[in-house]
Amino acid sequence: MATKLPTEVTGRVWKIIAAPGTAVAEGDTVVIIESMKMEIPVTAPHAGTVKSISVEEGDMVEEGQSVGTIE
Amino acid sequence: MTWQPEVDEINRRRALAEACGGPAAIEKQHAAGKLTVRERIDKLLDPKTFREVGKLAGRATYKDGELAAFEPAPYVMGIGKIDGRPVAVGGEDYTIRAGTGFGSDRRKGGQGGFIEDLAFEYRIPLVNLIDGTGGTVNTVKRKGYTVVPGFGMDGFERSVQLLGIVPVVSAVMGTVAGGPAGRALLAHWTVMVRGTSQIFAAGPPVVERAFGTKLNKEELGGAKVSADTAGTIDNVAADEEDCLRQIRRFLSFMPQNAWELAPNARSGDAVDRCEDALLSIIPRNDRQAYDMRKLIGMIVDQGSGFEIQATFGRAVIATLARMDGYPVGIIANNPMYGGIIDVKAARKQAHFTELCDAFNIPIIFLVDVPGLLVGPESEAAAIMRFGLQSRYLLGQITVPVFTVLVRKCYGVAGGNVIDRAGLNFKIAWPSAHWGSLPVEGGVKAAYRREIESAPDPKAREAELEAELRALSSPFRTAEAFAVEDIIDPRETRPYLCQFIEAFQGRLKTQLGPKLRAGVRP
Repeated sequence: MATKLPTEVTGRVWKIIAAPGTAVAEGDTVVIIESMKMEIPVTAPHAGTVKSISVEEGDMVEEGQSVGTIE
Repeated sequence: MTWQPEVDEINRRRALAEACGGPAAIEKQHAAGKLTVRERIDKLLDPKTFREVGKLAGRATYKDGELAAFEPAPYVMGIGKIDGRPVAVGGEDYTIRAGTGFGSDRRKGGQGGFIEDLAFEYRIPLVNLIDGTGGTVNTVKRKGYTVVPGFGMDGFERSVQLLGIVPVVSAVMGTVAGGPAGRALLAHWTVMVRGTSQIFAAGPPVVERAFGTKLNKEELGGAKVSADTAGTIDNVAADEEDCLRQIRRFLSFMPQNAWELAPNARSGDAVDRCEDALLSIIPRNDRQAYDMRKLIGMIVDQGSGFEIQATFGRAVIATLARMDGYPVGIIANNPMYGGIIDVKAARKQAHFTELCDAFNIPIIFLVDVPGLLVGPESEAAAIMRFGLQSRYLLGQITVPVFTVLVRKCYGVAGGNVIDRAGLNFKIAWPSAHWGSLPVEGGVKAAYRREIESAPDPKAREAELEAELRALSSPFRTAEAFAVEDIIDPRETRPYLCQFIEAFQGRLKTQLGPKLRAGVRP
């Protein structure tokens, strides 16, 4: 089952690090959110493959919003 | 001749009290995901240590001089042990008329009840397991007159008094409003169960009458509002068993009363454990966040952390933990939220500082704070007032404060992490930098005229920035002994452990309730 990737902070999507299809280890950064002049990573909660990314660079995201899924 | 018939009567009545509100009411309580108050107390305390008081209290009806029916008092209390140490514990029995008062000669528990008096007189911690609806309008009918709030034994006088004397814990384990909600808040630490407990000044029907807004009780006062958003309640438990476990864990860091120190509990974790990962945990790029909880975990005794208000004011992490077995309170900035102090984070920091001081628990700051949150919303929420509460408290407290500057330390918020009234002892990692304002932005403000009148303002600004940045090396501050030490991050644990041990003698000289003068901002 796919796991959602929620951002912990409200901010702007700065960089998508791992595109769909990328293999990631637990703790790897998938997307970076820019918030309060800081780069806040959204990390993989477990190892797997990025299944989807639901945001684009420059998008605003709300705290708790999912930016994608991994499987 | 013996008194056996009377003893038989005691046992009969005890058995009636054990039955709570009867099988149907107990089943209903269980179906709601809740334990009965007797089950809660059993799970909370060390096995077979509960000594109940007042088990015979209740409403009896007699027929021909014989007991015909008995409804136990809707409050169960007594003493027991947690980790071998005595505690006072009490809670409403929701299975009996929803835990409302029963018109006894003396209250068993809650505000002004016997169990509060016992905790006060015996100087032992008090645990309130709150699951009652408080006053009802029926009381008026019973008494024949209305009362001014806080009348008689209900005025919270003892509840307030206890806060300077013994650790008080409140667990919200049902839907509480009014008096029981007030009682819950008069505690050093509060916890609620997600999904099955709610707390509010008044429930949904009152809100609907006042504003016409229809909300269910979870929307109005569930954990999402009361703990995560408002910080009314400190911690959230996944279920009742977790709630009771958390209470035991919180109390393990507390002394029995203000005249004692909390026990040392060495885990066998070596004081000289120096984690290599600490050398690279702080990114060289200042904009990059990192996992402050991981950093804390590498410094404190392994697995010893117990976070307070983990879901509220998340720019600050406040956690009880142990260093070489001694309890400490850690206050750390969370770079995942920019480390910026907003009103919620400021409230959390001030409250935790006061809690640690009340029970002589040394404080360790792990600092990465760029400042107070700026902007119109933050100003409207009174950021300066709340931001200064920490500074005020640091001028009052008598526990030692150890400051470890790991990265940023700027502005008013940066001044709120240092023990100015005490030794003013701060150590830094090589990644640390500090000042009244960060160089970026600060340069523009301080040198505006010079920059604007330069032939190439941008180049002049960059030049000035580079000049000031060169001066902001932590080594220059260490040369001037304006920071007491710069250390290898891996040495942090042994370094702090030694100073915390060295301070234990001082802590013994300042025991007892702490008296504070003055007015908090």
